[in-house]
Amino acid sequence: MRNLNAQNNANSRISNLTFAILSMLVVLVVIFTIASICVPRFFDINNISNLIAQQAEIIILGIGVTFLLIAGYFDMSVGGIISMAAVLSAYFCQATGAAANDLGSGLGLGYGTAIALTLICCMAIGALNALLVVKLKVNSVIATLGTMAVARGIAMIVAKGAQRITGLPEEFCAIGQFTIIGTINLAVVISIILLIIALIIENKTIFGRRIYLIGANQTAAKLSGINVDRQVAILYITSAFLAGISGIVMASRFNAGNCALGTGYEFDALVITVLGGTSIFGGFGSVTCAVVGAFILGILSTSVNMLGFQPSMQMLVKGVVIIVSILALRFALNKRNV
Amino acid sequence: MNLNRSISWKSTFKNLYVFSVLALIIIIFSSISSNFIGAPNITNIIRQSVPLLLVSTSVTLLMMSGNIDLSVGGILGLCSVVFSIMINAGSGYFMAAVLTLLLGVFIGFFNGFLVVRLRIVPVIATLATMSLCVGLGKLMSPGGIGLIKGLPEDIVGFGRTPFLLRLPISVYVAAAVIIVLVVLQRKTLLGKYAAAIGGNSTAAELSGINVVKTVWLLYVIVGLCAALAGITRTSLLSLGDPVTGMGMEMDAMIAVVLGGTSFSGGEGSVARTVIGVLVLMCLTAGMQVIGAEAYYQTIVKGIVLIIAVVVDVLVKEKIDD
Repeated sequence: MRNLNAQNNANSRISNLTFAILSMLVVLVVIFTIASICVPRFFDINNISNLIAQQAEIIILGIGVTFLLIAGYFDMSVGGIISMAAVLSAYFCQATGAAANDLGSGLGLGYGTAIALTLICCMAIGALNALLVVKLKVNSVIATLGTMAVARGIAMIVAKGAQRITGLPEEFCAIGQFTIIGTINLAVVISIILLIIALIIENKTIFGRRIYLIGANQTAAKLSGINVDRQVAILYITSAFLAGISGIVMASRFNAGNCALGTGYEFDALVITVLGGTSIFGGFGSVTCAVVGAFILGILSTSVNMLGFQPSMQMLVKGVVIIVSILALRFALNKRNV
Repeated sequence: MNLNRSISWKSTFKNLYVFSVLALIIIIFSSISSNFIGAPNITNIIRQSVPLLLVSTSVTLLMMSGNIDLSVGGILGLCSVVFSIMINAGSGYFMAAVLTLLLGVFIGFFNGFLVVRLRIVPVIATLATMSLCVGLGKLMSPGGIGLIKGLPEDIVGFGRTPFLLRLPISVYVAAAVIIVLVVLQRKTLLGKYAAAIGGNSTAAELSGINVVKTVWLLYVIVGLCAALAGITRTSLLSLGDPVTGMGMEMDAMIAVVLGGTSFSGGEGSVARTVIGVLVLMCLTAGMQVIGAEAYYQTIVKGIVLIIAVVVDVLVKEKIDD
């Protein structure tokens, strides 16, 4: 698994990565077809546009997490950053002294300033991640679990363990309620724009190719003159920035800064990334994988719901799908590279 | 010679460091509130520490071997649900406990299978197991989310009712388990193998250690201890709750890292993890005693974890110089 890029089959015209993406895409199509046939009302324009809207926020997260995973690092702090961004974006723009209770009054800044400040705070958490992982060489899982607790802790303190919902300016809910057609909202548009940027970075820039090199062999990357520390630090800050955007969009959709938003999203982001075929060993993967993974998981969860099972079945489905997809993809790649 | 001295200096620091943190926390909180050092509060802290103690001490051995288990909270919750259902169905305590422990062993075995046989990275494999355990636990509980209530009143006999020196039986059981784990780590090959695998897995393999079997066994031990923790938690709260173990993996990791076990593996101490757990529990209880709101706990835990890993790294750098 470690050197998938190096082991490209000389006889075939497509690389292992393209093969992985294509095979997961086939899985996605098969699951979609089965769901359309077996689940009543699944193949319905409203349901499908709902499905797309639901995946937008997690796909935004998945971009940052994928890049880090390709470079060989984990980011478990994104879930905490979402809740921090949601609560802070509400707190910064709530009217000052408008309400009697503390939760109703904030700093009274303009919404634009509030977003900018929130994103800066999120990037500070990303910088803390980079400091711990890159400079101090702390294991990335542990370090980012710690910063996740810090970010979520900030959200909980600012929202006093609940949510900030009163005294919000009118434009606060504009992002979340702006729609193009049906439920295709601004989050979808943002995620598509970010995806295109990510794909360009991944395929067309030196920065993007360096990420793969770092993940495949960090020592070799260092020796060939890549500033690995700076590169990984940028990735951590970007990941936190994207999580911040996700959090702001979510807060806007619910029209509330709730500190429980984003619970478990760090796991979901990891799951969709791995589900799509990105390798946890680094050096192999693509943001396209995250998109495919997000839709596979999304279709399965929606189907489980629509078939009338309990919501807790989703957890079971998630667990089984992670294990099966990792094994299936590995089996396919091994067969191919024999 | 120099090497020897620096190693002993390092271990002395690590030994003293976590103890002095504990002492500092106790001094601070007892100077703020006289209730903190009172017997009822201390009994309560020890009683509530039992589940985390069981989980963290077993996870210490696993982390020494360079592996991680994120499913402990899920195992704890599932075992709590299964144990309560069996009790409510009228099976005896002994039978229910044995079957629950077997379930824990099975989940640990499954984790080990995923990690060492199928070679799925521990983080992902145990994440999947956690999802499975929480999902199963919720499915089995009434309404898909509910607590399992109506347990017989004498269920608190294990984890709550004073038995000896004001402490319940569970504390003595946990003490016995911890002693066994300390002996395993210090005096048996299992402990040495775990450290060797964590230090360098390939070298361990080449020098004849059965890495697969060792890591597998460690996962089983963690599963067993998490199941026992689930039984204790059920008895303590007289409730079966599928999400009672939420965040347990994080707490266990904090305790282990506080105790000086480095995640890169190769070294660690079960005994120091015990102190790490007490630091965490005293911190939580102390914040309750001085009247801090519950929502301050998350950030405090995060900061404690970050400080613990940073101190660990700085100590190592000092030694390397």
